[in-house]
Order: sequence, then C-alpha cells, then structure tokens
Amino acid sequence: MNIRLQQVVPIPLKDTLANRRSDIWNSDVVFTKGDRVKIKAPSGTGKTTLIHILYKMRHDYSGELFYDQSSLRTINADTLSNYRQQTISIILQDMRLFGNLTARENIELKRVMYKPIYDDKMVDTMAARLGITHILNQSAATCSYGEQQRIAIIRSLMQPFEWLMMDEPFSHLDEANTAKAAELINEECKKRNAGFILTDLDEDSNLEYSRKLTL
Amino acid sequence: MNPLLKKIIRSGVGRVRFIMATIGLGVALLLILLAVQTQVNFDDLLHGKYNENETADFLVINKEVNKENQTQKDKNVFSDADIADFKKQSFTQSIGPLTATRFGVTLQSYSNELPFSTDMSFESVPDEFIDIKSKDWKWEEGQKDLPIIIPSFFLDLYNFGMAQSREELPQISPEALMMISIKVTISGNGQSLEIPGHVIGMTDRINSVLIPESFMNWANAKFGYQQQQPRITRVVVKTQDPSDPELTNYLKEKKLSTNEDKTRFSKARTAVNIIVKVLAGFGIIMLLFALLVFSLFIQLTIASCKTEIELLITLGTSPGQLSRFLMKQFFPANVLIMLVCAAIIAVLQYAACTWLKSQNMYVSPWISWYTIAAAMAVLAMVWWVYRSTIRRYVNAQ
Repeated sequence: MNIRLQQVVPIPLKDTLANRRSDIWNSDVVFTKGDRVKIKAPSGTGKTTLIHILYKMRHDYSGELFYDQSSLRTINADTLSNYRQQTISIILQDMRLFGNLTARENIELKRVMYKPIYDDKMVDTMAARLGITHILNQSAATCSYGEQQRIAIIRSLMQPFEWLMMDEPFSHLDEANTAKAAELINEECKKRNAGFILTDLDEDSNLEYSRKLTL
Repeated sequence: MNPLLKKIIRSGVGRVRFIMATIGLGVALLLILLAVQTQVNFDDLLHGKYNENETADFLVINKEVNKENQTQKDKNVFSDADIADFKKQSFTQSIGPLTATRFGVTLQSYSNELPFSTDMSFESVPDEFIDIKSKDWKWEEGQKDLPIIIPSFFLDLYNFGMAQSREELPQISPEALMMISIKVTISGNGQSLEIPGHVIGMTDRINSVLIPESFMNWANAKFGYQQQQPRITRVVVKTQDPSDPELTNYLKEKKLSTNEDKTRFSKARTAVNIIVKVLAGFGIIMLLFALLVFSLFIQLTIASCKTEIELLITLGTSPGQLSRFLMKQFFPANVLIMLVCAAIIAVLQYAACTWLKSQNMYVSPWISWYTIAAAMAVLAMVWWVYRSTIRRYVNAQ
C-alpha cells in the first residue's frame, strides 16, 4: 500500500507553517511500500500531529490523504479497522496502554484482535529480548514509561502490517535498550517486507533509513 | 479477545438497572404470552365444542316482530339488498331464504285411533340447508305423496305434553310417526287439493314444518294469493361460528333475531377478547418501557467506557467486533428470561389442561406454537433494539 499526501496542512498549524519550508506539509509526497522513512523535526512542528493524521486519528487538516486510491476523509469505520488490523501498525508517543490490564494482556489484545500471526510464546520471547519479562503480569498503569514504551513496541509487532508508524518510539529508553528495540523492529519489518515511518527530534542511526525528511 | 474486552469494558455499570429492565421484560413477555395462549385455548374450546361433528352451524334468522311493526307484516321481510349485505359479511358461509305458503293448509289424520285435525302452514328451504338425507325428500308434479320434515320438538311437545294430558292418547315413537299417513288439504284461489303426506324426518336445525321447494313453488303458483314479488320472511344462514361477536353485533344492529341459545356463547367470548386485549396491551406497554431502559442502559455502558472504546478503535478493533461483544454481554440474559417465561406458560398450560379436563373441557396440555412464535418475535425485537443502539453509539465514538 502506498500513502499519498496532497498539500496536507494541519489547520491549527496553518499560520506557523506559512513561513517555514517543510518536506511534507503543503507538498505532494508519496510513501511507497517498503520505504523506511525517518522524519526529523524539532518540538512543536507537528510530529505527533503528522502521525495522527496518517493514522486517521484526526482530520482537522486541509489537503488530501490517500491509502492507495481511497481518501481518508471518506473511508468507513469497517475499512479503517481492517487497515489497522492488517496493514498499518502504530507505536504512539503516549503509548496508550490499558492501565487496568497487565502488560501481557495489553499485548495479547492486539495479538488476538485479528487472526493471530504468532502464538502466545512469542510475547515471552520478545519481552525477554527487550528485558521486560518481569513486568509482564503487572498492571500497565504501574509500569515505568520505559517499560510501557517497550510494551507498546511489542504490541505493535503482534499484527501483520505493511507500514509501522512510530512516534518517537525510543524517547524513554536508554541507548542499550534503544538498540535492542530497534533491532527487533528492524527484524520484524524485514520479515513482513514492511516499511515504516519514524519521527524523532534528532539525527540517529538506530535503524537504516531509505528516506530522511524534515518536517 | 472477549475476556480482554470484558476487563476493558466494564458492563457492571448500572447492573441494577439492567436487572430491573430484564425483570420488566420478563413480566411483559409473560403477559403477552399469556394473552396469546389464552386466545389459542379459547379458540380450541370453541372449536372443540362446535366442530366435533359438523364444520358449520345454521341459524334461522328473522326480523324482530315488535309492538311497533306487528301490524305491518309487509315490512318484516328481507329485501334483496338485505340478503346481499348479509352475504358479504365474513361470518356468512351461505344464506338461503325460507319460502312460506301463501295458501291455507289443514292436516288431518286418516285413522280413528289417533284422530286429529289442525290448521298448518309450511315453509321450504333450498336442500343444501337441510340435514335430513333421505331419498324420499323430493316431489314432482303428479306425485301422490308429500314428504314433510318437522322440528323434533313437535314430537316432544306431543309425547310429553299432549299425550300426558289425555288418558286415551298414546305416545308415538319417531319410527311410528314416519309410518303414519296424514291427509294434507290445501286450498286457495277458490280451489283445493287433497294429498297424502308423510313425515320423513325430524330436524333440530330449522324450526319449521318443511316441504320440498318444488312442491312449494308449484302450489304457491296454483293456490297462492298474488304478491308483487315473493316475500322472504326468514333466512337460514350457514356460519362457521355462531358465537362470533361480529355476527351477534350485526344481528343486533339490523334488528334481527335468531335462536339465542346458539349465539349466547358470544358474550363469554367478548369478555375473553377484552381480557386478552387488556393483557396484551399491558404487555406491549411494558415491553416498550423495557426496550427503552435496555437502550438507555447500552448507551450508559458505552458512554461510561468512552475512552476505552476509543482506544480499542484506535488499535483497530472493528465496530463489528465491539457490537458482537456488547451483544454477548447483554442478550443472553434476555434469552434466559424468554426460556423462563416459556417454561412458566408451559406449566400453567399443563395445569389449565388438567383442571379443564375435570370440567369436561379439552385444551392441549402443551404450549402452543403461536405462543412460542410470539416469544421469538419479542426476542427478535429486543435483539433489533440492541443491535441498532450498539451500532449507533459505537459508530459515534
């Protein structure tokens, strides 16, 4: 699936963006299947807004956005949930876990939402790789941000996808843990021949990128 | 996925309200099913009573003769329009006129053992309305014997009234009566004719002394006084159900009268109809309230889990998955209630059957299919309300 932006500008940022050059806002951009995109941007320039727009969590923008040929403005709820179960996975900056579920249950929810691609042992395997085995049965609300971020990463890898969208996915992780998480993400994307769109504040070499854009 | 959803969507909110609504639905369902089952039982009783041997009943109907109209016998007749209107009614299967003699008739005994002589009149009716099937029931011009059908109560009147009053009079059996020849003398238009007659049968259906229509037409033409057109004073109506309240209302409205014994059951039936309607009415009102509470309850549950449902949708849970989950949370309680109600009705029905049997009335010991169908219909309605409410509110998130 290709993602195409046509002169997209978030309405709340319209004035700020009028005087700035951007690789994405107000331009025509196509993300082709398999692209590994890094989007660099300082705080307050709309990284999270972009991810939310791409994932159709908000639609207060001008311009048009397409998944292949279908405009996100007219897509219906059932089609959208199909995309979210099979084509696009997401790691949100604020993690968005269910606080009253355990870490394992949060991951499990995503695993069984669509026909599972992994059995439940995979949860333990990935948790072991990211070093969060000990908190799997703890309620997510009581986990630290770093732990929550790793839960959110594993959760996003429990489904089939062509695109993985990540909004500052390593912001709460130290270098060692970032490296482990990036390696896991890299492997999982390769397994699926999937591309990703990652936003971050700075330059980094955590993953190999095929395109680098500035917001 | 459902155990996880169950932890996320706390359907425990407003549990008491849900239980109350479920009980309300139970009572509503019980009333509705009771109404249906009562109606079915009543129909059973009705048809059990009237349909054992015959599929229809016959009513002889005439205009009421009262103080006002008793002197105008021309007025107390059925016009063609009256008959056409009667024919149109749903309770009428067929209708036939009774034709009266327009000449004088006397009957006399040939024998000295049973001497009698009386003035009489005959009526005739199309053969399809006569329940005496006899090969003797016919008359052709020149035939020297006139078949006659009398009402059964004539013989009873004689045997248990007349014969008791005079010591020398014997009782007569129906067989003996049919052996006796009677001298029938008819006169009119300055002519008269003597013809032997025979009683060939007795009937309970039509309260009149009947002769074949062919004789009636021939004799009326020859001996009858002139009429502009034949007057129909009585009609016989074939009906499926003489206790049909519609029939009794029609008779009342048109100032007609008939054998009230046959239509008397109609009053009981009207009462049962009212009771059934009141039951069903209350049931339906309660059902509507229960549905309203259910729908509010679903809205409440969805609203109280707004954030969770939003996140589930963000993560890709489809509206369909959510609806199915919510349906599973709420609907089984209603299925259970329906089963309980059906069981209660089944027990009541069995009890009613046993009790009625002791009163020599028969109804089925089993719950009727109509009742089960009604329960299914109510359940389908509840399901539809759930489904549309859930769809509407989940999609609105």
